[in-house]
Amino acid sequence: MIDFSATTAFRLVRRLAAAGQDTPSLYLLLCETAVMDAVRADIAAEVQVQLGFNLRLLAASEVRPERLEDAFRPDTVGHVILVTLDHWLPKLIESFDRNIVLLTRAGMVLLLASHEIAEHALAAGPNLRNRLTDILVVKSDEAFGDERA
Amino acid sequence: METDLKSSTAAFDRRQVYRPFLERLNPIAPLRDLVDHDLIVPRDHDPCDAGQAPIHVALADAAELSRGTQMALVGGIGSGKTTELLLTQRVLSRHSDAVNIFVDLADYTDLNELNTGAILATVGMELYSRLKRENKKPPDEVTSAHTKLRELALGKTKWVPVEEAYNHDQGDDEGPGFVPVDVPGLMRLRFPALRHVVKEVKGLLLTIASPLLENDAQITLLIDGLDRLIRAERFRQYAEQDLQALRGTKMTVIVVAPLLLWYDKSRFLQDYFDLVKHIPAAAADPSDSAFLKQILERRGALELMDRAEVNSIAKYSGGVLRDLLTLARSAAEYAYRDDQDRIGRKHVQAAIKQLGKRYLVGLGATDRYRLQRLADDKAFPIQDSSAQELLVNRQVLEYFSRGQEFFAVHPALASVLPKSK
Repeated sequence: MIDFSATTAFRLVRRLAAAGQDTPSLYLLLCETAVMDAVRADIAAEVQVQLGFNLRLLAASEVRPERLEDAFRPDTVGHVILVTLDHWLPKLIESFDRNIVLLTRAGMVLLLASHEIAEHALAAGPNLRNRLTDILVVKSDEAFGDERA
Repeated sequence: METDLKSSTAAFDRRQVYRPFLERLNPIAPLRDLVDHDLIVPRDHDPCDAGQAPIHVALADAAELSRGTQMALVGGIGSGKTTELLLTQRVLSRHSDAVNIFVDLADYTDLNELNTGAILATVGMELYSRLKRENKKPPDEVTSAHTKLRELALGKTKWVPVEEAYNHDQGDDEGPGFVPVDVPGLMRLRFPALRHVVKEVKGLLLTIASPLLENDAQITLLIDGLDRLIRAERFRQYAEQDLQALRGTKMTVIVVAPLLLWYDKSRFLQDYFDLVKHIPAAAADPSDSAFLKQILERRGALELMDRAEVNSIAKYSGGVLRDLLTLARSAAEYAYRDDQDRIGRKHVQAAIKQLGKRYLVGLGATDRYRLQRLADDKAFPIQDSSAQELLVNRQVLEYFSRGQEFFAVHPALASVLPKSK
């Protein structure tokens, strides 16, 4: 397993805020499957508090590879999209890769995956890999060593 | 808690320092914004031949002098192909009769499916929009062709009687019972015949384009996105139908093609296109070329880091333009998180390591062995499919220097690659 830089939901969203609301960004976030729900909830809360946006939550299995424009339509109101890659779906990753501009134009997009699925996705998606703003491991505040909740 | 409060108070001002820099360095920012803000550094010559004009100038000159020319631009992911297309478009706009249609096909069609006719249909719809903007009421035959084209391209809902829909399989209306059988001739066609639907779309496109063509307009189609098909054969199928259909129409085509076609044994790229331009990774050694440093400097790097850091970022980007921006941006973020007012050596090193790890993902034992061979012996069998994977994924980069092409491991990856025993 490759040790990418670690962060917390708080620090991640602070980073999005520092970059500016209008700055498109595409992050691949890694976490253990067991804590995925908690990570999602933490990110949603931080997005709401720090950015005042809603987090649009999508599961990979809900996104149709041939209709990415529905999932990644840039809204006029601010939002952050979080797609949980809950299963290994090669067709979806291939579609992300070929139609990568739809993701990069959608504003702030976060892809959340286990290490294993992330590895598959990066290997199968050269365009996706090249356009990622960063790859980060998301940990809880306690695991990261932060005092603040 | 105290630390957090302190840093967030102090961070307020620092944010104003870093934010504009980060915005200028966003590798996925809309390129048109960069062109509009004059942040693009055009190359001053062809990267494969210092004696030749820059790629965007060569493409624009060919489009202006030989209408109907078909040109391909090939290069690895992040090498700056879209930027060259935008620069070409800017040069072409110097003539008032220039009609430049710039499209990323992913905006119009699902690139997962082979979708011949999609290029022609997209161009037709874009030309019609252009005509409408200029001439409030296009001729009736043009409007009618556009309506048919939209129906063909986007589909429509037809209401049919229930009986007709369900009796379809029973063969009542299937005519005299003939089925088409292809009898191959002696001669093998250089390109397959145009499919019926492609011919139909071509006819409609020509009708839509007729007011412009009759006025001798210089129409150039700049088509981005097909490089993401990756595989040479998928691109070929588009070229053999859509691009072939545009031959003889006086509409010039500049299309971005997958890098693997450059190395395809069939030489399809060189045989089919009238002009092919290749963008290799830029010379990454700052002593060889100032190009990469100029890109960073144009975006304000020297306001936040010293020349040594600029040189280091240029070197470890491997000459991949998107990686250059990613490294600079990532180093800035590390410095910001460190509560520093300037980007230091350790921030650049952290950014290089993070980029290297990104390229490390997915490498198997065979890949590592191949990378080691390349690093040690300069051996890289480009016709081998696993070697091609490394090239497509930018773990290996292709360079061109003094008339010679050569390969090298991406320097950021090389910096984190465990040494084999």
